Amino acid sequence: MPLVEVIPNNATSTVAPRWTYVVDTGYDPSKVAFNPKDRKRVPARPGGPRGDTELSARQQTAIARRIAELSRDNDPKQVIAIPWKGAAAKTQNTRRILQYQRQIKHWLDDEEALLQQAPPPRAPAATGRAAALRRRSTLASIPPTPAEATTAEATPAPTAYAPQPNPELDSILSVEKSRPAPLNPAELEALLSAPPLLYGESHATLGAGGPPQRRFCDNCGYWGKIKCLKCGARICGLECKDAHEATRCLKWA
Amino acid sequence: MPPKGWRKGQTAGPRQTLVLDNGAYTIKAGLVTTGPSSKPTYDDCHISPNCIARSTRDKRTYISSDLDECRDFGELAFRRPVEKGFIVNWESEKAIWEHEFMNEGKGGLRCDPKETNLLLTEKPNCPKELQKNCDEIVFEQFEFASYYRSVGATFNAWHPSSLLSLPQECLLIIDTSYSDTTILPIYFGQLLQTAVRRLTVGGKLLTNYLKELSSLRHYNMMEETYLLNEIKEAVSFVAPSSEQFAKDLERTWKGRVGDKRTLDPSIVVDYVLPDYEQSIHGYARPHDPEKYRMRRGLQPQQGPREDLLPLGNERFAVPELLFSPTDIGLQEAGIPEAVMQSLSVLPETLRVGLLSNIVVVGGNSLIEGFMERLESELRVLVPAEYAMSLRRGEDPIKHTWLGAARFASQPELLKQVLVSKAEYDENGSGWLGRKFAGEI
Repeated sequence: MPLVEVIPNNATSTVAPRWTYVVDTGYDPSKVAFNPKDRKRVPARPGGPRGDTELSARQQTAIARRIAELSRDNDPKQVIAIPWKGAAAKTQNTRRILQYQRQIKHWLDDEEALLQQAPPPRAPAATGRAAALRRRSTLASIPPTPAEATTAEATPAPTAYAPQPNPELDSILSVEKSRPAPLNPAELEALLSAPPLLYGESHATLGAGGPPQRRFCDNCGYWGKIKCLKCGARICGLECKDAHEATRCLKWA
Repeated sequence: MPPKGWRKGQTAGPRQTLVLDNGAYTIKAGLVTTGPSSKPTYDDCHISPNCIARSTRDKRTYISSDLDECRDFGELAFRRPVEKGFIVNWESEKAIWEHEFMNEGKGGLRCDPKETNLLLTEKPNCPKELQKNCDEIVFEQFEFASYYRSVGATFNAWHPSSLLSLPQECLLIIDTSYSDTTILPIYFGQLLQTAVRRLTVGGKLLTNYLKELSSLRHYNMMEETYLLNEIKEAVSFVAPSSEQFAKDLERTWKGRVGDKRTLDPSIVVDYVLPDYEQSIHGYARPHDPEKYRMRRGLQPQQGPREDLLPLGNERFAVPELLFSPTDIGLQEAGIPEAVMQSLSVLPETLRVGLLSNIVVVGGNSLIEGFMERLESELRVLVPAEYAMSLRRGEDPIKHTWLGAARFASQPELLKQVLVSKAEYDENGSGWLGRKFAGEI
């Protein structure tokens, strides 16, 4: 027997002849994929709508492409042959190396991939050298105070300087408190024998809590006070808006 | 003529060392005699461009120092063997080295590799494969008698500028070069690897940025790398602070519709572009609105014609990237923060020592106002109870080379590190890589 149900017709639904709009409150997985809500206003993102300073995917791609372009060394489109016929490759190895046409990004990717396959044993090395250095160190035995550090430039042999304790000195003048702790030999050893970082690891990261990113006009370089409605780039005024739309607007990019 | 103190057969192996600071933009090279009385100076260092250039106008290819003969830098295309500071393309690097140093060429510095040691500098964090390639080429292709490769900045510890005993105990090098800017803490001439920090911003990025801005705002100059580099070196300056940056930006603003401003001629300059007929180098002069307007209209048929490139906020917004890379969306910290990040992984005692001996090397430090800005921004970040001493090498471009040359002139130092070709032939490149990395 078919189920007959009374469809509630409350204030949120509108009446039309012969059929009715009904608020659908139930969860329907088939409709999750295409959210009927206005996607422009409320993007389906975990963190809620995008903030003023956040960038769209399109802008991020544009920035990444631009930075790659700015930091590129060689233009792959320009092929410059070498007129100089120098000595021929002498061994199999060198012939192979001389024929490489790879760019730096290939090598860096290789290095990273290789490391993921087999992380090298981070063995402590150069212990002898580090120990020898430590013995010569002035820091390990007599850490310099800030005052000392400034005078050290004019002192040819800082190793010769060894302050004698003087009980008559006023305790206020004592620099004991401001002295950093002497170098821990084990720590120093570890620092000196640490293997080099990967290229990618060595970049200075952007710390949190710094000043907010400054925005500049896309066209003239003055403060970017206004956002382009079409692509979100910053512009400074109407004049630059026209120029921006004619050249750099990402709306159709 | 043999230099003073030269005596044949005093030690095994050659007495002459080719000290090679192989930068991405220029090669700094010189032959150094090893001996107690040998005191290399800046004059022993030869600078040549590390590139092969091709001109579509005179259909010539210039290798390295051939560029001195070039009279038309328009649309000059460059091929650089060094990318991001590392030697990547050995085909072109070999051609340049042979042209500059080997017997076949016609440049100024001649040596026979079989009777010469090689001291080669590299950038930190070099991929191992590239290091291996480099070692193999040096021994198997060039057949140098013996060889040492190390991070270039570490040799600054042997630079004779300071009165401290050498090598300097604590030294913090800020190397702001063509490829990038690196922060390198050095302890007794040894690099503290975990504290190395790097910024993508270097001279190359600044030149390309200026090229992009000028092309967007005025003429299409995307092919004029040489010219834009020249302009960058001539006119750019670093604003003394970010407040002053904002003021300068205000003074160079053209204004908006209905509220036109006059440009401040003390900042805005007109760069007179070279036409490569009468002149091969341009020059800057204060902005003149009259002449600038004339540029846009008709110029006289007779008499001198000139093309002007007005430069306003480009002058200081471009080098500003060194201090604020986020201005172009680069998610990296500026130089002062990078220095603090580098120091943050080190024990406090080392931090104090390093801060009291900071040396800036590399071509970008020559930009007007760079040192002042760096000092004031760094001083704010460094705790007040630490002393800080920051200085620029008296010749920031050759500073590393001279340090390396002084290192090479001391036989006992050099003997410890050099690896001879015989040793290489016996042990191979894998062993050599581990040896130079300090693992053996």
